[in-house]
Amino acid sequence: MNALEVRHLGYHYPDGTTALRDVTFAVAEGERVGLIGPNGAGKSTLLLHLNGLLPEHPAAVPTIHVFGTAVAEPQLAAIRARVGLLFQDPDDQIFCPTVWEDVAFGPLQLGLHGAGLATRVERALEQVGLGGFDERLPHHLSRGEKRRVCLAGLLACEARLLALDEPTSDLDPRGRRELKGLLEALPVAQVIATHDLELVVELCPRVIVLDRGGVVAQGPTAELLADEQLMLAHGLERPHILRHRHPH
Amino acid sequence: MHRALLEPYQHRRSAIHRLPAGLKAGGALAFVLVIALLPRASWTAYGAGAGVLLLLAGLSRIRPRALALRLLLVEPFALGVALLSLLQQDGLRIFAATLTKSTLCLFCMVLLSSTTRFSALLRLLWRIRVPSLLVTTLALMHRYLFVLADETACMVRARRSRTFTQDRASAWRSSASVIAQLFVRSSERAERIYAAMCARGWKT
Repeated sequence: MNALEVRHLGYHYPDGTTALRDVTFAVAEGERVGLIGPNGAGKSTLLLHLNGLLPEHPAAVPTIHVFGTAVAEPQLAAIRARVGLLFQDPDDQIFCPTVWEDVAFGPLQLGLHGAGLATRVERALEQVGLGGFDERLPHHLSRGEKRRVCLAGLLACEARLLALDEPTSDLDPRGRRELKGLLEALPVAQVIATHDLELVVELCPRVIVLDRGGVVAQGPTAELLADEQLMLAHGLERPHILRHRHPH
Repeated sequence: MHRALLEPYQHRRSAIHRLPAGLKAGGALAFVLVIALLPRASWTAYGAGAGVLLLLAGLSRIRPRALALRLLLVEPFALGVALLSLLQQDGLRIFAATLTKSTLCLFCMVLLSSTTRFSALLRLLWRIRVPSLLVTTLALMHRYLFVLADETACMVRARRSRTFTQDRASAWRSSASVIAQLFVRSSERAERIYAAMCARGWKT
């Protein structure tokens, strides 16, 4: 069974502008897929659809299935437990007074309490290398640490599909390297929307190119990203890392 | 400056800091009630109250300057209320008593907030079953005050870096646009935060 199936997804903003048109792709269980495209291509909008935050009014026929379940009421609560969404700005995502409480937010909504909740939170914090950060205040954390708290919040829900929106934007090289290591070690399906094409080459065997709301190409990363014409036509460029790779 | 204003809690390893939040908040509430209910001319009792607070402040090992600064910041409110009493008969005495009482109560609150983490106070409110909507609002407000303050500082700095004239009218105009921008950004952020909350199962 696929972790994610999107079939003929379309979306218009309330003002009528087309944001997504006829988007179709699938992600296998445990697979990491890169989602790339210029600014305004619809990457973030697409990710918001994956756990039912969009569209505002549900479509008559569900266009997205997560582990075989349609993303629609009344399964929305179950879907949101399975799909972890990492927002672009960590300050949007961390809304609780302390790190511990923020990581516990998701599991609490899932009905966990007491020792079970504490174990889940501790484990998630350990997983992202933030053991002992329980009482820290979000506004005292570095950007990289905030990003890891966000990720811990998703891991604590035991999400099986992660939808990550620009996970490495404004991270310093060390933060980026650590996050990359973390994502690499996670055995769950991941959709990574990013402009960090080197990250895509390093992490994702497969890539989807989105432009003006539509999928313009999808296939093996090395092949698509090496296609200079395709890259330039959609506001991207062939990543440096590929230039040093020998074709054979 | 805004840090000192928004973040009263100063970490020290004092006995006062280690006391449970419930005990401190309960004690503070009792102190405020007693001071408020004292007859107007109980100057000895006021003195004793002030003595207790100063002793606690000493034990907390927070720099006196920091405490005084915070008290000064909230004092105008107490002064404003007390000033109204000058209009009454025997106004001067009422003014002195009101100002003393409110200053003592405010000092007590400054001490409480300087020695207790805000998150601990929130947890306490939660435990004593203060309506959850109110606690959530307080928690979100506390969390985003810092983000908002940082955002304001960035915008003001950006404005200033491109402001070449000194005239007051244009300064006002640019402040107005910063405020308007901040309002728009905050409302957009509120939408994103709500989406992030829903994404992790809020109200579904």
